[in-house]
Amino acid sequence: MKVISNLKLLMKITKEYGNAHFTLSFSAIFSLLFLLYSYNFNTQSIRPIVLAFFIIYLLTTVYAWFISKSIKKDLATNREIRGRTRMLGYPLILTVLVGNVFASSYGISLVSKNKTPEYTFAAYALLTQLFIIGISGFNLFKPYVIDTFLPAISAFVLLAVIFGLMVILVAKYVTSTSAPKWMFPIGIVLLLPVLTGNLFSLLLGYGLIKKARQKDASSIEKWQKIWSKILRNSMAVFGMFFIIFMFSLSVVSPWTFDYDFATQNNYSAILQTPTLEYPLGTDDFGRDLFSRIVFGAQISLIVGFFSTIIPAVVGGSLGAISGYYGKKTDNIIMRLLDILYAIPGILLAIAIIAAFGANTVNLIIALSVGSIPTYARTMRATVMQISNYEFVESARALGASDSSIIFKHIVPNSMAPMIVKATLTIGSAVISTSSLSFLGLGVEPHIPEWGNILKIGSTYLETHSFLAIFPGLCIMLLVLSFNFFGDGLRDALDPKTN
Amino acid sequence: MTRSINTQTKNTSTLLDSTYQRLTNRGRIDGILLFILGLPVHIVTFLLFFLRKSQNQYADAYKKSEEELISSGILDTWRKQFLEQEQTKASFFHESLTADQLNRNVDLLVQGKLQKEVEIRVHSSGLEKYTYHNYFKQLLKKRNFVMVSAIPGILMYALLLLYSNPFVQFIFERVLQTIFVILGVATLVFTILYISPLDPARNILGIEATPEQIENFNRLYGLDQPYLTQLWNSLSGLFTFDLGTSFAGKEDIVASIANKFPVTLNIALLSLLMAIIIAIPVGIISAIRPNSFMDYTFMIVALIGLSIPSFWQGLIFILTFSLELNWFPATYNPQNWLSLVLPIVVLGTSLCASIARMTRSSMLEVINEDYIITAKAKGLNERKVISKHAIRNAMIPIITVIGLLFGGMLGGASVTEKVFNISGIGSYIVDKQFIPDIPAILGGVVYIAITISIVNLIIDITYAFFDPRIRSKMKKEG
Repeated sequence: MKVISNLKLLMKITKEYGNAHFTLSFSAIFSLLFLLYSYNFNTQSIRPIVLAFFIIYLLTTVYAWFISKSIKKDLATNREIRGRTRMLGYPLILTVLVGNVFASSYGISLVSKNKTPEYTFAAYALLTQLFIIGISGFNLFKPYVIDTFLPAISAFVLLAVIFGLMVILVAKYVTSTSAPKWMFPIGIVLLLPVLTGNLFSLLLGYGLIKKARQKDASSIEKWQKIWSKILRNSMAVFGMFFIIFMFSLSVVSPWTFDYDFATQNNYSAILQTPTLEYPLGTDDFGRDLFSRIVFGAQISLIVGFFSTIIPAVVGGSLGAISGYYGKKTDNIIMRLLDILYAIPGILLAIAIIAAFGANTVNLIIALSVGSIPTYARTMRATVMQISNYEFVESARALGASDSSIIFKHIVPNSMAPMIVKATLTIGSAVISTSSLSFLGLGVEPHIPEWGNILKIGSTYLETHSFLAIFPGLCIMLLVLSFNFFGDGLRDALDPKTN
Repeated sequence: MTRSINTQTKNTSTLLDSTYQRLTNRGRIDGILLFILGLPVHIVTFLLFFLRKSQNQYADAYKKSEEELISSGILDTWRKQFLEQEQTKASFFHESLTADQLNRNVDLLVQGKLQKEVEIRVHSSGLEKYTYHNYFKQLLKKRNFVMVSAIPGILMYALLLLYSNPFVQFIFERVLQTIFVILGVATLVFTILYISPLDPARNILGIEATPEQIENFNRLYGLDQPYLTQLWNSLSGLFTFDLGTSFAGKEDIVASIANKFPVTLNIALLSLLMAIIIAIPVGIISAIRPNSFMDYTFMIVALIGLSIPSFWQGLIFILTFSLELNWFPATYNPQNWLSLVLPIVVLGTSLCASIARMTRSSMLEVINEDYIITAKAKGLNERKVISKHAIRNAMIPIITVIGLLFGGMLGGASVTEKVFNISGIGSYIVDKQFIPDIPAILGGVVYIAITISIVNLIIDITYAFFDPRIRSKMKKEG
């Protein structure tokens, strides 16, 4: 094996070293934010809980700095990270208790030498489950909890324990090419938690099944290669984590959150500032902002998902047909789509909603129609390129029909740019959804959707600004996550563009 | 003097001839268009063609050389060759052919070959097959014919001249396409509003309105007329700038749009300017030092800028800069330029982020090209390589993207306008959509779309002039 002696180069290719700095900067930024928030400028007093958080985050920052120094020393002397330095990761895992997902995930990745995607999936499945338990746990401070709360939480705790065990087992037994045979049933069992929206568990289970069956070595290698490329990009992983966390939260929220807190008026608790009972305060009808935001995630994800998948399918097929047949077909389809392309998406959506009225279904249709041409263009460009390849030629020579060539040979091979495009545009669909709701043109006003919540918040901007700040932050984080994940996907699937 | 005119006419007629050839070869639609435009000329020439057909040189020459070939006895050699060929083929595919079938096949092949051979011979002797197409082409070469037919065939000649220069052709086609898109947009938006299940009459007159009142309202605004009539009225209204009055308020629609459009355009252009000034240097710096701390910071900030919903950003800005710090006014006021700052920044943020990301990737692509390495190898310093060689080429895709994003920004302006209470075209459309005030929405949306199309048209045409690569490609495709 080639020995890399240059320390700088070694530091560059050691993932743990770079990620230590990453953890350090994020913890530092958050501790700064906590420091700023710990002092209440209006009442000239200190918020003790926030100050405690600040101290913990500051300690984490210093600890991360210490780890990065020891890694550097290890690399200089041993050219690899020593076991003792890896042990330093264990305390970092505990920072999940204060919500520092950056530090805890770094801790998990540091303690094990094993860098299979399954290990990362198991770790993030665990983190997701713990965060869900934590967020749902706030309901304990409410006057009452929903009937399904206790069984749901116990199930979540059980799942968290299973995921914790899986982290250890995967670290020990799973390699980059294989897993022991007895992992096969475990893999199947791990497919089930997808019912709680924990997609990491699905990925973990699928990977284990693949590796335990040992049927197709090339597909295992492909799986390993793509995921390790995506997972190398820390921001993409956090983006993916936040998306899956939000998804899982919106799947399980009906079992752990009471919808009444989000929609029923409670005039005894109007415009409360954040307390433990109302973690983000209440709005002008006494509705709990925290529950509203949690339920709002559902709507945002549903609208975002459908207004991405519909134009992707419609635009994708149009683009595939026009790219494959070319000439007249291409000309007609693309010229007609040019008309759609000339109207800005939001304006077209406003016109459609003006004609058919504001509700969720119309909103999805309105947003979908506007983004058909961009998908068609992406697909067309890829298909035009792919239809010149030899395998298409050979399929044609074997007498395959046009439709089977398009949908069996060309489309599967041109999915990568479409997936990247879709991930990147879900974010803008989420923004458009909330923007239109904010204008009163989107989701019906009685449904707790982030834009609707913000609309109420904007009227109390002067007195109760938190009503406008928190839902906006959620939108931004979700969109940011989609963008980071999409960028990561793009870099992994199409290295040319970077 | 006469000589120079003469040569020029000659040039023009060969030009006409070659363009005619190119156009008819290009596709059926161009050929048909050409034929329709030159119909008056074609009627006369077609008659002439029939009259001349009797004295056909081509057919005579054809017959002569055919006879020559047959008498030379070369046919038998061909027949032998083809026979052998057919037999080998049949044995290879294990087909059993009767001698009769075999002979028939061979005969066909020999006939085909004979025809081809004769055509080649006749063609080499300078005679062309006597078809109308060729006849007309011959005519176009004659100066006198062109002069005589100049007036009846003016449309056809105009088209031929337009297509004789690749530049003019490109511009002409691009303008046609834009007109098609604009008409399409108007029709589409009108159709969407036409099939609306909502009833503006009910919304304006109230629930208690009698059927007569509603009927009266519909008649007044022409809503009772059939689809095509309404479409025609709307389209002609759009292009003659007379959309009538709005349903509610009875104000002149085009006048109010003309009042509000400059406000939006002003803010949009200023945001665009801000975005370009900030984003392009940022993108270039990021690309020159990829994966450095600076690059990471800029790109994360850009991604955040892309992920912020503009209305929320507006609210946060109002909260911070107007309510807490009192630096800028919270609502727009035409007299106070300070009130423009916040809307411009908010509207420009996502554009700025997109341009920065685009600049970075475009620059990265260019920086790794061979000619940049050559420039460096020549010993040019880095500043010169970047500013002279890299940026100029990297700008091309960026300008296109800016044109496209500008459109998105005009559309997205409605949200920002609502937050800052600006009475621009965006908030006008949003205000009108609750009724729905069909002509007002139609006018607003279509005029914005037209503006965007024209901006993109201008960008495309400017490119054709400035980018040598596009120019040479156009000439090649020609």
